[in-house]
Amino acid sequence: MKDKSFSALTPGALIVWFFALAGMVGIVVRFWAGLGAVSNLSDGYPWGLWVAVDIMAGVALASGGFVVAGVVHLFGGKQFQALARPAVLTALLGYLMFVLGLIVDMGQPWHMFYLFFGNHMSPLYEIGWCASLYTLVLCLELLPAVFEKYSMKRALRLWLKASPWLAILLLSVFTYAMTYSLVWFLVVTAILVVWEFLMVGGKTRRDVQVPFLLIGAGVMLSFLHQASLGVLYLMAPHKLSALWYSPQLPILFLVSGIGAGVSMMAMEALGSEKLMGHRIPFRPLVAFSRLVPMVLALYLVLKIVDILSRDVLPLLFAGGAAAIMWWVEVVLGIVLPLVLYLWPGFTAKRKGLFWASFFVVAGVVINRINVVMVGVDVERWGPYYPSWSEWLITMGIIAMGLLAYDWLTDELPIHESP
Amino acid sequence: MMKGILADTTRCIGCRGCQVACKQQHDLDAQKTLFFWGDGYQNPPHRTAETWNLVTFNDARSENGYEWVFGRRQCFHCMEPACVAACPVEALKKTPEGPVVYDTSRCIGCRYCQIVCPFNAPRFEWNKRVPEIRKCNMCADRMARGEHPACTVTCATGALLFGDRKALLAEAWTRIKKDPDRYVNHIYGENEVGGTCVLHLAKVPFERIGYPAGLSDAPFPNQIKTAMHAIPYAMTGMAAVFGGLAWIINRRMSAEEKDGQEENDS
Repeated sequence: MKDKSFSALTPGALIVWFFALAGMVGIVVRFWAGLGAVSNLSDGYPWGLWVAVDIMAGVALASGGFVVAGVVHLFGGKQFQALARPAVLTALLGYLMFVLGLIVDMGQPWHMFYLFFGNHMSPLYEIGWCASLYTLVLCLELLPAVFEKYSMKRALRLWLKASPWLAILLLSVFTYAMTYSLVWFLVVTAILVVWEFLMVGGKTRRDVQVPFLLIGAGVMLSFLHQASLGVLYLMAPHKLSALWYSPQLPILFLVSGIGAGVSMMAMEALGSEKLMGHRIPFRPLVAFSRLVPMVLALYLVLKIVDILSRDVLPLLFAGGAAAIMWWVEVVLGIVLPLVLYLWPGFTAKRKGLFWASFFVVAGVVINRINVVMVGVDVERWGPYYPSWSEWLITMGIIAMGLLAYDWLTDELPIHESP
Repeated sequence: MMKGILADTTRCIGCRGCQVACKQQHDLDAQKTLFFWGDGYQNPPHRTAETWNLVTFNDARSENGYEWVFGRRQCFHCMEPACVAACPVEALKKTPEGPVVYDTSRCIGCRYCQIVCPFNAPRFEWNKRVPEIRKCNMCADRMARGEHPACTVTCATGALLFGDRKALLAEAWTRIKKDPDRYVNHIYGENEVGGTCVLHLAKVPFERIGYPAGLSDAPFPNQIKTAMHAIPYAMTGMAAVFGGLAWIINRRMSAEEKDGQEENDS
């Protein structure tokens, strides 16, 4: 187990508790007096810090959960097994934080359930469905930890039997909701059922501990809504600067999200080792992080090709806040960490891995801030800067996530015992 | 039949009677205004949740030097509205008669409609506990009773005309042809973002009187159609590819394990 916790009131823990409580107060004020009372959002800039950080960056950074789970359980990365549960827990908490951020940001969150009976041409509808189902999948992926703790053997057996069929149901219903087409519903159901039968019938190997299809559902849903967050801005060609507005936005969001998710996982593992005293599997972490430079290289190439293919190169040298932020994002968030990862031996040390991961994470946060805030220029409206209370609520939600992580890693068998 | 409003801004005298009529019709609260905002006599400076219809006062340069040119801002009721495509809960809808109408009982307050609107029409009640999206609805309720929108009824100079969109377009072209010195050769809203129900005539280029320039003729929803239509293909593709990959990788692993065992046996 671990030797440190936020329940011991060290100065660090006090800071986290302070932000969590202050954020809670901020949220109460926001619901009492309206969004205008706590934020600088306006009709010109209706989306700001919360959408950029809590939602866009939050979802990207939580992608470690599906990447690790996919590699470990689907694609034969058994040596990374020890990373899977912490990553899935982080992802689940990340999504719960994102949902909380969303509820704070929405004007009438009590109408949220209409998201499931809405307009299937809207990318936001797709994100609503996808993120809810994925949160459910993450809960299912984490259930064995609960069963283990309470030695519920029968429940675990039931889970093993039922979860692939649940996954098939979720994915099929999702496909129907996106298309309202019975044909697509049947096509997807058929493929998944065939896959499951091949495994049950022994034609292909199956993982005895974790159903493939559940992990597969997590990966598929994640791919889709990571990209859909980029689709959101495809309908804002009139507002978003050409530095970021691109038909490739969905692909760029997906690729950068994958890299950032893995880096976030590494950063968080190292952080939790230092702050909460968790034992972490360092070698597998270093080995797994070798994925990041590959993703970063791909992302950099995509970024460059995108800029060149849209003939917006001159904008990069036009000066101004937007151009500067583009360079900050690309140099500090892609090029620098790429060099650090490729530097022989650099990421084999704890500090090195932490800083390399840090820059990738920062790069993606800056990218989402650029897309949502810096790159958006609305005629006749002055620039938007988040208010201190917006920052406070965002910090509060992050602090709540930290406390929940600390509590759950105490309660559940998340990290391997020594 | 698709209805519309033709705003001939050359006939507008800036009396703001339409603004008042709109407030009266929809029971909108008054707003604090200043005689001179610093940027001109336009009052209030922006549309708000309480002002859906705004006459803009522009200092435009023509051969006669500077002169007032009035413009008009409201929901333009696009033929293929971005807001309707964006709204995840179908709180915004385009009716066959033209108006883009809003249903607060479904709205989640996400404000994505505000992000995508090419004309920044939707407004949000920032300081309310139960905030709504507010904008011109072309007086859909009056239209249902066979009446004309309040602003068009009240307009004293005939600058606002209500009717079938096609007939209004024909009328607008007739005016341009008949009096080419009076008008720029452009009906704003004929083709912008796939066309809008509110059409505009003016004597100076529209970008000089605050109308968004550089909008494509393609409807905004086209931008996301490819991506959204790709979803079921992506689903089936991923199911097949991930299934196949997992099968290949795991078969190889089983084979390796077997080899390992045989080596141990021998």
